[in-house]
Amino acid sequence: MLPTNTHILYPEFDYHAPTTLYEVTELLAQYGDSARVMAGGTDLLVQMKMERRQPSQVISLMHVNALQGISQNGSLDIGATTSIQEIHRRLPQLYALAEACNGFSSIQIMYMATLGGNLCNASPASDSAPPLLTYDARVTLKSKTAERVLPLERFFLGPGKTAMQPDELLAQISIPAPLPHSGSAFIKISRVVADISQVCAAARLTREGNTIRDARIALGSVAPTPVRAAGAERDLIGETFSPALAEKIGKQAAQEISPISDVRATREYRQQVAAVIVRDALLRAWERAQ
Amino acid sequence: MSYQILGNDYFRKDGIGKVTGREVYASDVTLPRMWHARVLRSPHAHARIKSIDARAAQELGAVVLTYADVPHLKYNERIVSIPPHLYRDRTVLADKARHVGEAVAAVAAPTEQLAEKALRALQVEWEILPHYTDPLAAQRADAEPIHDSYILNGQEIPVENNVAVTRVVQVGDIEEGFAQADHIFEREFVTSRIYHAQMETKSCVCDPAPDGSITVYPTTQSIHNVRQLLGEIFSIPLHKVNVKRVAIGGTFGSSIQMNSIIPICVALALKAKRPVKLVSTREEDMYDHVRYQTKLKLKIGVTREGKITAGHMQALADIGGHNIQAYALLSVLAGWTASLYNYPNLKFEGKAVYTNKTPSCALQGFGNPQATFAAESLMDEIATELDWDPIEFKLKNYVGLGGTFWGQGPSVQSIVRSDGVPQLLHDGAQKIGWRARPKPGTQTGRYRHGIGMARGFHTSGAGAPKPGEVIDYSGAFIKINEDGSVDIVHAMMDHGGGTLEAIAKIVAEELGVPIERVGISPADTLTTVYDVVTHATRGVYAGGGAAHKAAVKVKQQIFDYASRILGLQADSLMIEPDYELMQGVIYCPNFPERRITLGALAKQLQVNSWGTLAAVESLRQVNCPPAYVTYFIDLTVDTETGQVTTNRAAIGSDCGTVVNPAMAIGQLEGGLSKGMGYALVEDNQWDAQTGQLTSKGFWIDGKTPAISEAPFVENIITHFANTYEPSGPFGAKGIGEAATNPCAAAYANALYNALDIRFTELPITAEKILSALAAQDERASRASDYLENKVVAVMQAAE
Amino acid sequence: MDKKTIHLTLNGEAREWRVYPNELLLNTLREQEFLTGTKYGCGIGECGACTVHVNGAPRLACLTLALACEGADILTIEGLARDGKLDAVQEAFLGQSAFQCGFCTSDMIMMTRALLNENPQPTETQVRDYLRGNLCRCTGYASIVRAALDAAEMERQETA
Ligand SMILES: Cc1cc2nc3c(=O)[nH]c(=O)nc-3n(C[C@H](O)[C@H](O)[C@H](O)COP(=O)(O)OP(=O)(O)OC[C@H]3O[C@@H](n4cnc5c(N)ncnc54)[C@H](O)[C@@H]3O)c2cc1C
Ligand code: FES
Ligand code: FES
Repeated sequence: MLPTNTHILYPEFDYHAPTTLYEVTELLAQYGDSARVMAGGTDLLVQMKMERRQPSQVISLMHVNALQGISQNGSLDIGATTSIQEIHRRLPQLYALAEACNGFSSIQIMYMATLGGNLCNASPASDSAPPLLTYDARVTLKSKTAERVLPLERFFLGPGKTAMQPDELLAQISIPAPLPHSGSAFIKISRVVADISQVCAAARLTREGNTIRDARIALGSVAPTPVRAAGAERDLIGETFSPALAEKIGKQAAQEISPISDVRATREYRQQVAAVIVRDALLRAWERAQ
Repeated sequence: MSYQILGNDYFRKDGIGKVTGREVYASDVTLPRMWHARVLRSPHAHARIKSIDARAAQELGAVVLTYADVPHLKYNERIVSIPPHLYRDRTVLADKARHVGEAVAAVAAPTEQLAEKALRALQVEWEILPHYTDPLAAQRADAEPIHDSYILNGQEIPVENNVAVTRVVQVGDIEEGFAQADHIFEREFVTSRIYHAQMETKSCVCDPAPDGSITVYPTTQSIHNVRQLLGEIFSIPLHKVNVKRVAIGGTFGSSIQMNSIIPICVALALKAKRPVKLVSTREEDMYDHVRYQTKLKLKIGVTREGKITAGHMQALADIGGHNIQAYALLSVLAGWTASLYNYPNLKFEGKAVYTNKTPSCALQGFGNPQATFAAESLMDEIATELDWDPIEFKLKNYVGLGGTFWGQGPSVQSIVRSDGVPQLLHDGAQKIGWRARPKPGTQTGRYRHGIGMARGFHTSGAGAPKPGEVIDYSGAFIKINEDGSVDIVHAMMDHGGGTLEAIAKIVAEELGVPIERVGISPADTLTTVYDVVTHATRGVYAGGGAAHKAAVKVKQQIFDYASRILGLQADSLMIEPDYELMQGVIYCPNFPERRITLGALAKQLQVNSWGTLAAVESLRQVNCPPAYVTYFIDLTVDTETGQVTTNRAAIGSDCGTVVNPAMAIGQLEGGLSKGMGYALVEDNQWDAQTGQLTSKGFWIDGKTPAISEAPFVENIITHFANTYEPSGPFGAKGIGEAATNPCAAAYANALYNALDIRFTELPITAEKILSALAAQDERASRASDYLENKVVAVMQAAE
Repeated sequence: MDKKTIHLTLNGEAREWRVYPNELLLNTLREQEFLTGTKYGCGIGECGACTVHVNGAPRLACLTLALACEGADILTIEGLARDGKLDAVQEAFLGQSAFQCGFCTSDMIMMTRALLNENPQPTETQVRDYLRGNLCRCTGYASIVRAALDAAEMERQETA
């Protein structure tokens, strides 16, 4: 039979709607691998419809207030179930992240989708991951008995794979307070506007006069996980910024990645365009780092 | 010409239903005791079914159908062609899967959940056969036959080398024509296999009655053709087959034919003895139909003076697993080619080949977007190479006023009697700034700007003086109610473009009744007379023509009876709408006091037991006038990402009298969106290994343009020609399909203007643009080869 | 898998639903409430046909579990006209003939309504941005933009 997306959600499961974090972790501890938490459901329900995932227990996170919202405690702490729409609206000064959130395919998806879901789904095409990588974001993972904090870079292991254990959940994403004179930008290339990316890139620059003090570059849809272009970053730090440098670094970043060809784009196209958008993101980030 | 009603905009009659969510589409129909159906579709591109074990599914309480349970009559689903040209190669359920997604079994159960469960319980044993996604591979001598034979005119005809049909059409002698040419140009154009992407997936509800009759609510463009085919397949006399008109959520040609799920739904309902509903999922729908993918080799000879001497087109159509209308496709490909330009000598050689992919059918334009892409691209190139303004070159060579126009292939010909092309080209050029367009090859830098133009048309229907290979007539029944309001009973389907609205206006205009008092009756096949199908841009011209003919008859009755009551000669009477009374008023200009409202007249007829004012008429138009369209596209290319932005578009239409201005504009704006999608982004690929869609049923991978791809509102400029079609109702002809036909060529020509590169393969994606730019750079850097390679076309001086 | 009972408000009326955990809001609306104005287009979030408002925000009913609507306030196209009077957005779509087949009309109207609730005077760019996930194969979108801007203008004049 042709596995096909139907009108209905065929797989059967039990549904839980806990209201506290503790209850969630307890359910996870109890059901382990057979359970799946659901935030906005925009990835999970599609995967269940296509039968790529078949949890027997679905645990909704949307009634857990502790997972919701944005707060400043030195770092910027974003609850895992905060919607993409809310992040876009509330954090315009985090240019790259706000641009990435606004680049989501549709307004409906922006309202429904959560930041935690976008990361936990671990798609190479996640739009929020490259900006968060450039901000050195950390993720807080919780289980019934423990809590640990990981740099986001170490969170992604492969397409659909993260460092989370079956009994863990992502509770919070933290962004360290930005250094002064920093600016960031995000650029996404897709076949039509309302689409996931063929390639996307984020850049963050911190300047001291005309010198680049700190730099981050991250790309999406070019590797099994969202990735940083570490070599290109290193070659920026300490240099005097110029458009020619941005051009050179764009090309260098494109050389650091080795994308594949798929339905959305060929390897060659991804590589060629990566150089362009990394350069443009650097130019924009620099302008914003006043 | 001035009209009371035509040319004005009113709230659409179907508007309230549509803006309140109350319009009923096939997928919305729910009946008591109704069960839900699901279809088992082949995961294999080519496989014989050895056995299907349905016991487990039946034990779940489902009704199951397999090939063994359905009539084995081979049918062709598009009975628009006359019977001798119907290539019958399919049955209600297949005994062999010829493409991924082919229906091989079906189930019905009380809920969709249970139906799905039953579907999964079916055990199919397959014998996998070699499959072909490439038409060249399918034609190899040792290729596995996709069909052993088909039925044509009652005869079983063997299929050789998987070639479904070929057709050659000749006018004059091309050898001689090319010998007269000073220049010969030749290029091969490749078009893509796009999906219709109509918003509603194809759906059907069938309600069987104990007396053996059935009532069917299908997604279709022709209720009468569905009825006749169902009657034939299931051996039910037609008076027991009632097909109801329900709103269609878009079809764009995909339901000209009786679509494949309708007979499956009927068979299930007959077996279950209760209403059954079958709604395709999006993925199933994507495996059901696409636009014809073609390879078109076009060769044109021209004299030094810019006169065309000969044309030669070789067409290869990759039709997929079934022959829905390939014979007709080859006919119209020849016809569109012959009607675009005057070729004193023309040869068309067409071949349609089966492959193990989704079957192809008409998609807005039926071969015309393909043929026009090729012709208008090459003509632009010829004009440029010969140093002509492409507009002047067109005007010198196109088929216009007085020319012979092939509406739907060689058998449907008539003389062009209205032609707005010169005006449209002139106006469009002015609106877009044609004379100020860049010179190709002069721009450098990241963003490059280009303007391109193309002209095309579609036929208004398939009527002609002689009966042709295509059935084309409409019928209408009009009656005056006892309060003076009017009922129009017409079998025509409205795609949403406002065809029925236009028909109501034509009737209101003729009868002199306010449009608010003209109603469009619900229609079904029991109560309407035959209408062939809403396709071929024939709605207003042919369907409106039939209604007009009936209205003229009714008007005569009105005057005859009014003359008795008013004591005046019938010939002296007039009728006009009176908006205070909301009535038509019959009067004589010489005796203004002798007047009677249409309502009073109709009531008097009833009181006197004289009868009802009513008429029923059928009409075959004896022409098929071209609905011309011109496109001017202004775009910008980002040469670093290959992305293209449409800045402005000027779209001109010659649809004769503009009956529905807002809706005519809507047709052009919609045509731009679909044409742009075809030109730049839309595509579908089949995995050669598995025969499956690489999109895996994700719509976005077909890349239907959304609002972000459209130009800003004020940058879509629409304009109309001032023409009057003598054979049309109040001078009207068509617009629908014409609205998109030349669009892709206009984009290709604009890209040439911006980049100095000719693109001959659709869609012209960002990736193709980048690689073409890279190749151009490489050529430029190899300076010694430069001259030789710059002219990409094979351009040679003829002997 | 058992049915569960939930309570919610639908188009201003209190409702009690008994639904399975795997039931989608879209199907409950269409098959249990017979509110067929909300459409199935793709079932996986790609077309916008199933757009409704849940607690004031636009949401895709094809990717929403019915059970997740416990306590929610849901508005569908059928609930938009109040006391027999069309909403300004409906009025504007009618006036601009901003539909052809009409299959996307419910979702376009619901999206436009959500936009105007958030931003009563949107620019054309903002309209385009907000409607970007809603497909229409017929109109080419221009008439829809005109209708959205018209509706905003109608409401501005009403409140002025
Ligand atoms: C039509 C459409 C368009 C889309 N467009 C884009 C786009 O443009 N850009 C983009 O990046 N994405 C896009 N997506 C993907 C998706 O919307 C995002 O990835 C979204 O952010 C997922 O969030 P969610 O809350 O809906 O996740 P869910 O579907 O609820 O969850 C996703 C996965 O993460 C797990 N999960 C969720 N939250 C947690 C948590 N707190 N702890 C542990 N595990 C968790 C779930 O178990 C599940 O496996 C699109 C999806 C659709 C259907
Ligand atoms: S049906 Fe929900 S987005 Fe298409
Ligand atoms: S009006 Fe037909 S899809 Fe929008």
